[in-house]
Amino acid sequence: MDSKAVKDAVFQQVVAESNLANARVLIEKIQENCFEKCITKPGGSISSGEQSCATACMEKYMNAWNHVNSAYITRARQEGAGTQ
Amino acid sequence: MSLSQSPLDGLNLESLNDQDKAEIRQFLNKQQQRSQIQAQTHQLTQVCWTKCVPGAVKSGKLDKTEETCLANCVNRFMDLNLLTVKHLQNMRSN
Repeated sequence: MDSKAVKDAVFQQVVAESNLANARVLIEKIQENCFEKCITKPGGSISSGEQSCATACMEKYMNAWNHVNSAYITRARQEGAGTQ
Repeated sequence: MSLSQSPLDGLNLESLNDQDKAEIRQFLNKQQQRSQIQAQTHQLTQVCWTKCVPGAVKSGKLDKTEETCLANCVNRFMDLNLLTVKHLQNMRSN
């Protein structure tokens, strides 16, 4: 394997693991927050109301994540790289 | 995820030339920054979700009020962050 092939493999692997780690945290957060919101009184089985709440909640949480992400990036850029 | 089972194990890192090594370093710095931003976003989303989406979820879309609240929440959180650091600095110099 030449240098470029090794480098590309490293890039690819790092991106894949980083994306996986990010997705794991997101899933965990969605699970916690949407369980809290939608399964207020756990019954013997999941109701259709709970299911549609959960679906809407998942979508909403991801929208909120994207919105927060861009607001944060905008703010961080304004602050400049020096302040963290 | 254990590093001992990483698919990178079979790679011969010795074969990297200096330019590619430098590129990898640069790439890793960027990725680390990206990860930090994502981690901060997870934390902020958690905090601001609780504040800005308090009631029952009616729709998967964010309404205008929620969007404004989320952006304000991020900015006020950052304000408080700066304020805290400043306050601690003042405490130290007094």
